[in-house]
Amino acid sequence: MISRVIAYKSNNIDTDSIIPGKYLKLHEYEELAKHAMEGLDPNFSNKTKDCSFIIAGHNFGCGSSREHAPIALSFSGIKIILALSFARIFYRNAIDGAFIIPVEIDQNTYDGINDGDELNIDIQNNKIKNLTTSKTYSTKPFSYLIKKIIDAGGIFKLDM
Amino acid sequence: MPKTLYEKIFDSHIIATRNQSHLLYVDRHFLHEVTSPQAFDGLRLNKRQVRRPDLTIATVDHNIPTTDRSLPMVDKVSSIQINTLENNCKYFGIKLFGMNSPDQGIVHVIGPQLGITLPGTTIVCGDSHTSTHGAFGTLAFGIGTSEVEHVLATQTIWMQKSKSFKITISGKQKPAITAKDIILFIIRSIGTSGGAGTVVEYSGDVVINFSMAQRMTMCNMSIEAGARAGIVAPDQKTFDYLRDKKYIPHNYDALIDYWKSYLYSDPNAKFDKKIDIEISNISPQVSWGTNPSMVSDINSKIPFPEQYSESDHNRLEVENALKYMGLKPGTPINEITIDRVFIGSCTNSRLEDLIEVSKIVKGRKVFPTVKAIIVPGSQLVKKQAETLGLHKIFKDANFEWRESGCSMCLGMNNDFLLPGERCASTSNRNFEGRQGVGGRTHLVSPIMAAAAALKGHLVDVRELM
Repeated sequence: MISRVIAYKSNNIDTDSIIPGKYLKLHEYEELAKHAMEGLDPNFSNKTKDCSFIIAGHNFGCGSSREHAPIALSFSGIKIILALSFARIFYRNAIDGAFIIPVEIDQNTYDGINDGDELNIDIQNNKIKNLTTSKTYSTKPFSYLIKKIIDAGGIFKLDM
Repeated sequence: MPKTLYEKIFDSHIIATRNQSHLLYVDRHFLHEVTSPQAFDGLRLNKRQVRRPDLTIATVDHNIPTTDRSLPMVDKVSSIQINTLENNCKYFGIKLFGMNSPDQGIVHVIGPQLGITLPGTTIVCGDSHTSTHGAFGTLAFGIGTSEVEHVLATQTIWMQKSKSFKITISGKQKPAITAKDIILFIIRSIGTSGGAGTVVEYSGDVVINFSMAQRMTMCNMSIEAGARAGIVAPDQKTFDYLRDKKYIPHNYDALIDYWKSYLYSDPNAKFDKKIDIEISNISPQVSWGTNPSMVSDINSKIPFPEQYSESDHNRLEVENALKYMGLKPGTPINEITIDRVFIGSCTNSRLEDLIEVSKIVKGRKVFPTVKAIIVPGSQLVKKQAETLGLHKIFKDANFEWRESGCSMCLGMNNDFLLPGERCASTSNRNFEGRQGVGGRTHLVSPIMAAAAALKGHLVDVRELM
């Protein structure tokens, strides 16, 4: 998958930043998406016009169990999030409903990718090519269960 | 082979295993109005039933008003969400403790107080603070809405085993040092990812001496350290607490015998990670930043970003946090004035919390510029507090005495901070915007929140004792 990346190079980007609590009453996914990242980046919806990836630091998605968080990002057009690490509930929420693919990366990869870079992310082979810098990186492989869920397209299509 | 308490509960709930992934049986499933509607939609869409409605319990807590409930709800969108849960529970045959039920309350308060939370069981809920129930020797963790639907349909969940992390807490717990101070101190020490990938078992003399309410406060905030769950081995205190509860099983004494023989970490059990925490000399803790590891002693100063390197919260994060919080490095924390006080949430809204608060508040008045609310964790807590006359003490001091719910912990109902308002809060998260857009949260214990309400600024509660 080829697209550009939005960089939020900090740790602990929490679910209240991704989608504030007051919007959890909204039932329509498109409506939720309008408020994605509202507190963190007022320009987010403009950026998603030509960026389908996010890169962030440690513990991305910490906090609430609200699945509204990956849903809001997904319906904003985000397909893959690269992060040094993910909070566990967000990580599962992202893939359980096939909303987002969360990819763990190492510090070297993190340092080598900047805001606006064009990336080619190969999920099946755990590779990222930064087309802007022509450098190639490896991502951390998924565990058996996580890979099964991603390949199936969510837990309801899972065949173990 | 010796096993940890976590492994014992986990292993005894495995139905099937594929390549180190386990299908786990769920003993109890709690639901609330916010993370369940799409799950029910999914069931209907796929023409599925709820597998075990008798093991599924629902309540409304996140967005219900905490003001007079005999009045019509002002917030129509919240009203729809509440009606949706009522309709879903009726349709699928699930027990609901609704808005006017005497058993309504925050899901993590009512589970234990009704005796639905039991040692050795697995509990899931579409809420991250499900870790609270670990206080009873329960394996309890938060899940998202897709998993809620999966559990509704199958009463099972696919997962991998976590690592085990033993935190031993020792020392002498001094007056005014609460479980809240201790868990904030732990998160400050190990960081917001310190428990990542693990289930934490809390042990040591301090934990043994904790009341059940204190154990719940501590397990509640395990998620704030990134842990999947927190757990405490059940003991006589646990069994006594649950004994007279409404939904306790009839064979309770036989269960206790079984639990006693089984629910503990074996002496030689191997933990993946262990730390010791000494609490004899800690002060009341206050958060000053925008995540729950940004915490200091009440009698210290706001830190300088330059003190930090590339650790859990690096320099830039501290700078950003202080900017959001409107705080200058070097400011004494006990000089920070506050506008609002919130005493409540699944972390600190139990009867014991309110009793301790009443001792500080009695005969005093809330500082004139401060608006302070007390939101009991459940209707039962409210009733018990009123039987003790606590509500009179609170009202005489100019605290607002509310109906039970999550309230200002997450600002979904009409209880939220205005931009720039600063709040001493007994809740669990100080994220940007958590309690309202632009709102500034200082996490503290209930008695520290009470003291701040009376003085109009953050203050060491020991000065009022």
